[in-house]
Amino acid sequence: MSKTKEKPKNNWRAWLYLAPALIILLVFTVWPIINTVRIAFLNSYNGLAERGGATFEFGFYNFEYVVSISGFSRSLGNTLLITVITVPVSTMLALLIAVALNSIKPFRKIFQTIFFLPYVTNAIAIGMVFFAMFHTVTLGSQTLSTGIINSIIQAFGGKPVNWIDAGSSWGHNMAVVCIYIIWNALPFKILVLLGGLQSVNKQYYDAAKVDGASRFRIFWRITVPMLSPMIAYVVITGFIGGFKEYNSVVGILGETMGPAGGDRQLNTMAGCIYDSLNDGFQGYAAAAALILFAIIFAVTMINLYVSKKKVHY
Amino acid sequence: MKVVLEHLTKIFPSRDKDKSAEVVAVNDFNLEIPDGKLIGLLGPSGCGKSTTLFMISGLQAPTSGKIFFGEDEVTTLAPENRGIGLVFQNYALYPHMTVQQNILFPLQNLKGENRLSKEEMLTRANEVAKLVQIDKFMNRKPSELSGGQQQRVAIARALVKMPRVLLLDEPLSNLDARLRLQTREEIRRIQRDTQITTIFVTHDQEEAMSISDYIVVMKLGVIMQTGKPQWVYDDPANLFVAKFLGTPPINVFTGKVENEKLYIGDEAVLDVKGVEDQEVYIGVRPEGFLLNANGKLTCSVSGIDVMGRDISVVSTNAASLNPVVRSIIAADEMGNVAGEVKFNLKEHKVFVFNKETEERVYFGKQVAAHEEMVAQMKAEGQNVTPHNGPLPREADDKVQDNRPAEQQQGFSGKVKGAFARVKGVFTKKKGTAEEEAQSAPEETADKAESEAKE
Amino acid sequence: MTEDRNHINAVPGEETQGQAEDKKGMKAKDIKAISKRQTAGKIFVQIGIYAFLTVIALLILFPFYFMLISSVKTTAEYNEMVPTLWPREFRWSTYAAAFTGDLHLGQLFLNTVIVGVVSTLLSLVVTVLSAYAFARLEFRGKNVLFAALLATMMIPGELFTVTNYITVVNWLDWRNTFAALIVPFLVSVFYIYLLRQNFMQIPNELYLAAKVDGTSDIKYLWKVMIPLSAPTLISITILKMMGAWNSYIWPKLVANDLAHRLVTVGLRSGAFQGANGLTDIPAQMAAVVLVTIPLLLVFLFFRKYIMRGVSRSGIKG
Repeated sequence: MSKTKEKPKNNWRAWLYLAPALIILLVFTVWPIINTVRIAFLNSYNGLAERGGATFEFGFYNFEYVVSISGFSRSLGNTLLITVITVPVSTMLALLIAVALNSIKPFRKIFQTIFFLPYVTNAIAIGMVFFAMFHTVTLGSQTLSTGIINSIIQAFGGKPVNWIDAGSSWGHNMAVVCIYIIWNALPFKILVLLGGLQSVNKQYYDAAKVDGASRFRIFWRITVPMLSPMIAYVVITGFIGGFKEYNSVVGILGETMGPAGGDRQLNTMAGCIYDSLNDGFQGYAAAAALILFAIIFAVTMINLYVSKKKVHY
Repeated sequence: MKVVLEHLTKIFPSRDKDKSAEVVAVNDFNLEIPDGKLIGLLGPSGCGKSTTLFMISGLQAPTSGKIFFGEDEVTTLAPENRGIGLVFQNYALYPHMTVQQNILFPLQNLKGENRLSKEEMLTRANEVAKLVQIDKFMNRKPSELSGGQQQRVAIARALVKMPRVLLLDEPLSNLDARLRLQTREEIRRIQRDTQITTIFVTHDQEEAMSISDYIVVMKLGVIMQTGKPQWVYDDPANLFVAKFLGTPPINVFTGKVENEKLYIGDEAVLDVKGVEDQEVYIGVRPEGFLLNANGKLTCSVSGIDVMGRDISVVSTNAASLNPVVRSIIAADEMGNVAGEVKFNLKEHKVFVFNKETEERVYFGKQVAAHEEMVAQMKAEGQNVTPHNGPLPREADDKVQDNRPAEQQQGFSGKVKGAFARVKGVFTKKKGTAEEEAQSAPEETADKAESEAKE
Repeated sequence: MTEDRNHINAVPGEETQGQAEDKKGMKAKDIKAISKRQTAGKIFVQIGIYAFLTVIALLILFPFYFMLISSVKTTAEYNEMVPTLWPREFRWSTYAAAFTGDLHLGQLFLNTVIVGVVSTLLSLVVTVLSAYAFARLEFRGKNVLFAALLATMMIPGELFTVTNYITVVNWLDWRNTFAALIVPFLVSVFYIYLLRQNFMQIPNELYLAAKVDGTSDIKYLWKVMIPLSAPTLISITILKMMGAWNSYIWPKLVANDLAHRLVTVGLRSGAFQGANGLTDIPAQMAAVVLVTIPLLLVFLFFRKYIMRGVSRSGIKG
């Protein structure tokens, strides 16, 4: 910054311009960071009760409680599984699609537009579409329609599966949720990776061609290393998104976080937090949120560490 | 490996279907490159020399014409099947691989019976690294090397597969002046050691002249002249070649031939027996001037550049197309240089060109000298036709549409172009430094020309 | 070989012969075979690439297609064992029912648009002012403050939600108000960051020139900086509107009465009860179509801005 701007009179004006943003940030961003930590350590904290004058003991009860309930460990498992399945699969798929897109000219724009469509949709709304696709319509004990996906499976000689309806297994639920999340995660990854591909100097490919590298080797030895910063970026954001996963499950399975009448077998970490909030147990919610934060933080650090070793330049 | 190019033509289609906007980058290019020689493709930017190189490499497909390596036609072969090594202008070293991995990469791509064992690959890589003297840096990444070292790695990578032909695209343009000198000697040495037919592209005439066995001067996609550097310098076939070669550049004057006398302005400077009356351009190499109190050409001195052994006299003459006339004379004559000076011209350093065609007009002893040269060239198997068909001039302007319109003018000195060219001089700043460097001689000439006209 | 070739071969005859014997050149047949294989390989690979992309495109499009055809089927047709790929009979009443029925889609749209427009406008004002202060003004602690703000971007939203819920519901008594939906998300550090970067790219000379002409800071901001940053501002606007349209968790927590319910919340909690106690999936799909279409339209019109904003943020809705 040049010195011409360094006038003391700007001092108060700067703060004036910043005031609206800072006030809102103070109340809704800075305070929550402090307060969430605070109430996480106040046993069985409840906001309404505190306003009424109640005080809470300092302690680790919230954490102990949250960790002890069976729903939490299952949610943690679900979240981990969702992340571990969807991030690699969607990244790999997006990479292939981006490379394919980058190697064609006619129709590229149309394909690009189609592949971006899932991004501009409402996760809940399209989740409901996925539900309908996998849903078996039954009236009493009579099956009316097995759903479009089952029909396709049957057309190929397979047997219909109870994917998401009452009595369906955890594994089938998980499969549907993962398919949906991958479908939903592709656009962003394709966009970033294609952008990265287009910024790679074409000369490296010319050089590789002259060096006689096969397509396969060009992909592994040139494209992937050149794209490694972008790949690291989509993997890290993918992990963060995966750990916060909630909307996709709600979209498909509804607030029951599992098949109707089930025991929330597909609940996620974020789901645990909102459940506690809905039930008025804000202390538990705060503890769960802190645990989620800690996990995301740790995973991101590991990711960064690994990518520092693997990402070139 | 001998490389033969037959009627090679590359036309870049225009983006909209307007035919007149298509670019003929290389136009009916015929050339035979002997085995084991170092060939410099030389020309200003946009003359199609890089396109020619990329067609030889297989990265670009010719619109028409054929390419032979030895007796094999390779026109339709993919680069990897041609057995070539290519060094890119900015080297294109894989930034994520070490020097060793970069050099090994082409070997690792070999398949089937050509596949080498790991030890063989390493031995080969080490041999090549030693050849280009980068064996000390095998474990570094390209970003940890200097420009010159990167250049050598690129050459090593190109050589490791033992290519039949080595291609270098502007190999020295990314190096600073000192490294450039050093590296071009290095390229020369490596080429001599390996005896691989090598073709390199450059816009720097000094570079091309200093290391090439043969040079090919190109303009607007057409060969202007080929030959040993000294031949081309001593016996330019046309005005373009005369102007393109030589530092300081040749002095160009307008003049005429009348009654077998050659006039620069109003001064008859030489006898030209047997030459018909015509309007001409006269090119005089800076070393072609002799200071003489009774000299025939009068110039007014505006300055002297001392260069040690010699001095460069900077003077002006109304008929000069360059803003100044530069003449190199021995330093001990410095005392005689002031105000008006008179020169005699060395006959073999004066080249006369027809004003219309810009083709060389031989006179006096030059006729015999040229014939002797031609005979010698013929004896060495070189076709004496320096170029095919008429020289590319205004009619071919579209060929070079990457340059501003005013720069695309030839040297015909038409008045209508003068204004545009004056403008061109002022807008020159906008061009990249490289472009500027390349078009500088042309532009200064243009400027002087336009000034003369006004 | 033709005559007009430029020979620069010193001793042409010898050279070629010796060479032909020395290095065994590829035979003409081999070369033809190789180049044939090359072209065949290239075409084969191209076909493969298009086939792959087409398959993926169909997989991407299938849910949209299914949603559209299902939305106009009669419940009876939808519930058939073998699904029809094109509706035999079009039932448009599902679309009307979305507005007239229990879903009150019209009200939900209105609520969402109110929240979207108001929060976008306020957010733009706040963002522009802050970005201006960070980009152009000098004050003590500027860099520290900016770094601190950026640091908050690393914290997952769930952590804020817990306390914000307490603040809004228990302390501000904003349950079931638009304020609860708008105010907490008014300031996005990321947008301030984006816009600041944009502002910083505007050359200082423009500012000095404006000062010489006696332009006030606000006028300079309005007349120079904002027009020059229009693409970023448009990106922010669209992403913000899409955010309102797609937000689910927070609105569901704090404002779930009809007068304030946002469209996604309403859609998810809609009953879509049909005959026989079965869910009327066509009716549900019609509502989904109505919620999805505006987004797709916005995308088609502002493709460039959305893609640019997204590739830089990586944050959805």
